[in-house]
Formats: sequence, C-alpha cells, structure tokens
Amino acid sequence: MSINGKPFAIIGAGLAGLTAANYLKRNAVPFVLFEAGPKIAGLASSFKDDEGFSYDFGAHFVTNRLAAAIGVSADCRVVHHYSETVWLKGKSYGYPFGLMSMPRFSFSAMVSRLKRKTETETAADYFRGEYGNALADEVALPLLEAWSGAPANELSASVGNKLANSIVKTLWLKLAGKISRRAIACGYSHEMPESANVWHVYPNGGISTLCKKLADGLDANIKLESPVESIVIEDNRAAKVRVKGEEIEVAGVISTAPINILAKLVKGTDALKSLHAFRYRPMVFVNLRFEGRGLLPDVVTWTPEKHFPFFRLTEATLSMPWLAPEGKTLITADIGCEVGDEIWTKSDDELGELCLRGLEKIIPNAREKYKGCRVLKTPIAYPVYLAEYEAKREEIEKSLGIEGLISIGRNGEFAHILMEDVYWRTLKRMRLFVRENQFPTQIENAKSIAISSSICI
Amino acid sequence: MQTNENKQNDSNSELLLTSVLCCVCETDDAKPVGVGTDFEYNTSRNTFLAMQCHSCGLVYLNPRPSVDEFDRIYPSNYHAFDFSENNFGFVYKVRRRLEARRLLSWCKGLKADAKIIDVGCGDGFHLDLLKEFGNKSWTIEGIDTSERAVTAAEKKGLKVHPGSVEQLELENESYDLAFLIQTIEHLETPDKVLDSVRRLLKPGGKIVIVTDNTDSPDFKLFKGGYWGGYHFPRHWNLFNKKTLSALAQKVDLEVVSINTIVSPVNWVYSIRNTLVDLNYPKWLVNRFSLGSTASLSAFTLFDYTFQLLGKGALLNGVLRRPE
Repeated sequence: MSINGKPFAIIGAGLAGLTAANYLKRNAVPFVLFEAGPKIAGLASSFKDDEGFSYDFGAHFVTNRLAAAIGVSADCRVVHHYSETVWLKGKSYGYPFGLMSMPRFSFSAMVSRLKRKTETETAADYFRGEYGNALADEVALPLLEAWSGAPANELSASVGNKLANSIVKTLWLKLAGKISRRAIACGYSHEMPESANVWHVYPNGGISTLCKKLADGLDANIKLESPVESIVIEDNRAAKVRVKGEEIEVAGVISTAPINILAKLVKGTDALKSLHAFRYRPMVFVNLRFEGRGLLPDVVTWTPEKHFPFFRLTEATLSMPWLAPEGKTLITADIGCEVGDEIWTKSDDELGELCLRGLEKIIPNAREKYKGCRVLKTPIAYPVYLAEYEAKREEIEKSLGIEGLISIGRNGEFAHILMEDVYWRTLKRMRLFVRENQFPTQIENAKSIAISSSICI
Repeated sequence: MQTNENKQNDSNSELLLTSVLCCVCETDDAKPVGVGTDFEYNTSRNTFLAMQCHSCGLVYLNPRPSVDEFDRIYPSNYHAFDFSENNFGFVYKVRRRLEARRLLSWCKGLKADAKIIDVGCGDGFHLDLLKEFGNKSWTIEGIDTSERAVTAAEKKGLKVHPGSVEQLELENESYDLAFLIQTIEHLETPDKVLDSVRRLLKPGGKIVIVTDNTDSPDFKLFKGGYWGGYHFPRHWNLFNKKTLSALAQKVDLEVVSINTIVSPVNWVYSIRNTLVDLNYPKWLVNRFSLGSTASLSAFTLFDYTFQLLGKGALLNGVLRRPE
C-alpha cells in the first residue's frame, strides 16, 4: 500500500498538533491539520487583559532549550526565580529541603528508605514507600487526591513514577540557579537531560508564541473551525476522516484529542472501546488580582490541608514580574472539580469569594488588596491514572492497535507531560509513525521501539 | 570594528534559521546535548542547540543560521580574518613555530613538484608557514569563501581562490595534498565539500583534517553549553574518530589515520564562556583568551596528558583518495 499523495490528517492545533505539522512540512509529507476551534494554540494559549494582566491558559514555563528548538529564543525573557513551598499548620516549608528539615518527615522518610521495597500497585502505597507515612499522609496524598479527584488507593502507582533527580543533582541545579540567578529547570523535563544550561524562559508574546512560530507558513494546511466528526477504520487501518460531512481519504491520522474522545470518533472497530472509561480531571483556575507583590511565600504554594478550597496557589509574578502591571500581582488558585458540580457551576464572583476566604488564612489582609478575578475552566486539565485501567494505559502507551493511527500530546498520550516533553516526544513518535506509514514495508524494524512515559504533578 | 549602534541593531533582530539533517546519516533523529549563545562575539540574542545524532553520534547545530546570515555571524573582528602579530604577540610566534613543524610533518614524502591546497585558508596563516618553511618548489594555493579573508591572504602575497570548492572549477586530479584545518566544522555540507576535494586530488592524494574532538574530556565536562568547540553559532558539525571515519566512508575516502593532537584552546574558551555567561568581571574573563599566555601554556600541559591517552582536544584525520 502506498500513500499516493494521500495526506496525513492531524487533529488539533495545540503544541503537539503543530509540532507534528511542522515535522511533516519539513519532511515534505502532505498533511491537513483540522482544528475544531477558531484559533490555534489549544492548551498553550495566552492573552492579556485591558489592565495589563497576562493569563496563560495552561503552561507558564518553557525552557531556553525548547525556545531554541522551535526558533523563538531571541524573543524570550529569562525567568530568574522559581521555587515551591508547602503550607502546613500556618507556616511555609520550602520544597523539598525545607520539608525534610522537619524531624517528623525526615525520620519517617528515612525509615521507609531502609525498608525493603515491595511491588506497589496503588499510588497510596507508592508514596508511603517513597516518602514515608508522615510526609505521604500529610502532604503528598491529600494533594494527589485534590488534584485527581480520586482516592489515592484507587490511583495507579505509576502516577508517582516520575524518576526525580537524585538529591545531589537537585542540590547542584539549585546551587547553579542561585549563582546564575536563573530558574534552572529541575524536575521539569523527563525526556531530555536537565543541566545548569537549561533554564526557564518566557516568550515576550506569551506562551502562544511557540505555537505561532510552529504554524508559520502552514496556513494552507491548517483548517480552523473544522472538527473531525469521525475517523473511519477499514481493515484495522485509519483510512478516512469525516469533516463537515465530507469523507477524506488519508495516509494516517495523528490525533491530539483526549483519548476518551478519540474512542468516540473512531468508527468501524471496537479496538478502542475500553478507552471510553478513561477520565480527565476538570479544573477551575481562579485568577485573583491584587494590589501589591509578594503576597505569598513563594511562586507556588501547595496547600494540602482540607480546609483550603484550593490545593495549589501560584503567584506567577514572583517568577515573571511582567505578567502584571507594576505594584500589582496575580494569584492563581487551582480547584479540582467535576463538570457540572457545585464548583464548576459557581459564578466567577462566587469563586473569587471562596478563594479569598481561603487566602485570608495565608494573607491576613487579602480582602483589602483584592481587585477582582477572572476564571478559566477546563474539563480536561489532567489525566487521572485510575488503577482500574492501568493495564490498558500501559498498552496504549506502546500502540493503539490500529494501523495508521497515533495519539500524541498531553491529552492524546494520557500523560501529565509538560511543554518541552510534549515537543520532544511528539517528534520522536512522528519520526516512527511517518516511517511506518509512508512506506509500510518498513514497519517491522520500527515496531520494536517502545515509548516510555513519565508523569509529574 | 563595528560601531556600537550597528551591534545593537544586529543583536536584537532574530536570526534567520534553518533545520537540517545529520550530514553523515541523513536523518533527524537526534537529541540536544548542548544549549548556549554566542558567548564570544554576541552577534545575536538567539540560543542555539547542539544536537547529537542517535545513530552515528555526530554533534551538529540544529536549527542553525541560514547561509544568508554569514556576514552577521562572522563579524568583521572575527579572529580568523585578522590573526596578526599585533593582536596576539608572543603567543602568535610560538604558535607559528609549532604549527610549522606540524604542517611539515604532514608534507613528508611530497615530491618537488607537489601541489598543495588549503581549503578554508582564512587569512592564509598556514599557507604562509608552508611558503616560509616548506620546499620552495611546491605549488601552494588556498580557497576561502570570505572576501575579507581572501583579501588578507592576498596581502601576504599568497594565491587564494575566492569561493567554495564545489563551485570553483579547479583542475581535477591535480593536487597531492589538501588541508582542511579547522574548516570542516564551519561547513554547511562537509560531505559535499570532501567529495569535491577528493576530485581535486590525484589518486593516492591525501586530505589532512584538523577539527575539534567531541570524544575528549573538555567536551564531556562542558558539553551542556559552555564547550569552546561549539563556538555558537559558527561550528555546524563536530566530529570524533567514529563520525569522521563514517563521513570519509560516505564520500569514498580511505582513512589513513585518525589521531588527536594537543590544544589548549577549547579548555580556555570553555572556561571563558562560563565566566562570560555568569557575568564575571572583564579582567578575569580576559585571563582566558587567545592572548593570555599563562592560561594557554597551563592548558597545553593539561591537555598533553589527555593526548597521551588518545583524547586530545583536537582531532587529526588523514584521509586518502583510493588509487
């Protein structure tokens, strides 16, 4: 079978879809990219309001390495500082070293390290084994549950499977960051090595600059407001896509849709039926505007205690002062929820009030400084690694089982991977996919390569 | 020298970049090993990536500046254009002596009527040495794409062909020896250039290549970004023994030998780049340059120990056109 000029179809114009498109363009492989929405960038989009506050829909950070790979490095600013803290019993503890300086946590962590490791199946076992009971029960597991919306003993251990840097490496990267006054990426990329030469940057035009650059010169191949209605599978091969009622023959399909949606799109096979069960955690991001700066102890403050309505607070201006007008700040409160539940249906003002009440426990005069909020909601913020479908998840990590169909990107891979990893992994998978499907005789040698996954909160 | 105003404009606009494949195996399956900027000449604000090919191990710049940006990435004060005594003093004299000895060792066995060509001769430093210390009956010529370099070389009374070896129509099978001394790493298509050089050589004629070695301790230590051999963004392809012999094979050249030679330059510049990037004071940065005798001498001794182990900072390949 030869493609004979049939194009590949890409579904979705976010970072992954555009990286795939750019790759195909560079290799002179014909393709059409279908985007359901009116503009490109997807989860990687950003905008600025009239008062001068900038909002990134998803990611805040990329690295100088990603910016260089995409070709926008000259138009980026260096992020000088990034660190996280955990708020416990009215005080903040730096992550990870501040937490470990509490005897209760370091002792239990040491005990767990000394114990013989057994096979762990659930996330609860995994974190207790890795961090010790005290740290797991008071910090890691409450955060995990708020984030995922599922009990930790129903989540798969692979949720914690990010192979963190060793303590020595973490110390070295933190030290290098202090010396160079740069936010050196630490625990950000699992696909490529971290080093003192890789730090966070922010594009002058916002995070969506990356997507705009990737989409450069692809106008003729990108169809906006063109949702793919179905993917037709013939002889276990993706043969056609239906868009606006019209069927188009394709050489293959590259999907960035959430995999439970992909399962619905696919017609003519039952192979993806079990993917309907896969869940994504909806999330409400409440962006609160305040007078002043440095209201929170750190860029990211984790709040594991149940009396807080949110589980994470981000004062991005501590990393990137340019995201708010001078003398003002923006705090983003993350609240996990379900579509249609009490949180999801609250008005912006109600959510602002809810967060403000929580924030007053950390910033006593928060109410005086409060200037209003803007709420972003997404039904697909994070994949939820339930133990019940873990076996299937591992299976689709390797292959969907349908010729000529791959699922890429953060939602498509069902993996909590950040911007840079989305980019490198997409390239890696595209290389293989094009080789397999453009010249199907060479399939055998390419098939043996498995793709590993990594997850982090 | 450029005016300050010029420099400002230059370094603020975005460089035009292109994506490329590995020149040895023609694939794009590579991972980033080094991330850095133009530490030495600050010709742009861009950050560059040194990629390492998964299949052969070649280290190459990708994406890299378009060839239209040559005038910008090789500024007028670029060292290869004017390596004069005034600039570098004592070190220059020592280097001349050492280089002359090395050059003549590669010329052993050449006949009286031998023709030698230096591809990428710059301001003619090596040609000049051959003229002064070599056999007077040899024919000595150079090639360089840079007009400024050609002008500088011609001032010394050297014969230099302006242009690229692929485009110049020099007589095939007429040369006995070709040099590519710190040239191959600057080339857009090293395979095509070597192929063209091979055509110029008589059967059995040799090519001597000197280039930065990626199988060296200085690379290992500084490969994250500060390695002097990256010379961001001017070194486009960086080799080790394995990749250089793979490239030779690709263009039908036999490998006579590939060894390493001592050089302090990448050590000194790796340290310099680190200091520059971390904003150390100028007086300290200037302790590490081509003009600083102390650091060059110290690192020559240092690299000598690695050279004994076959891991000197420079790679020296001798290739031959099959008979």
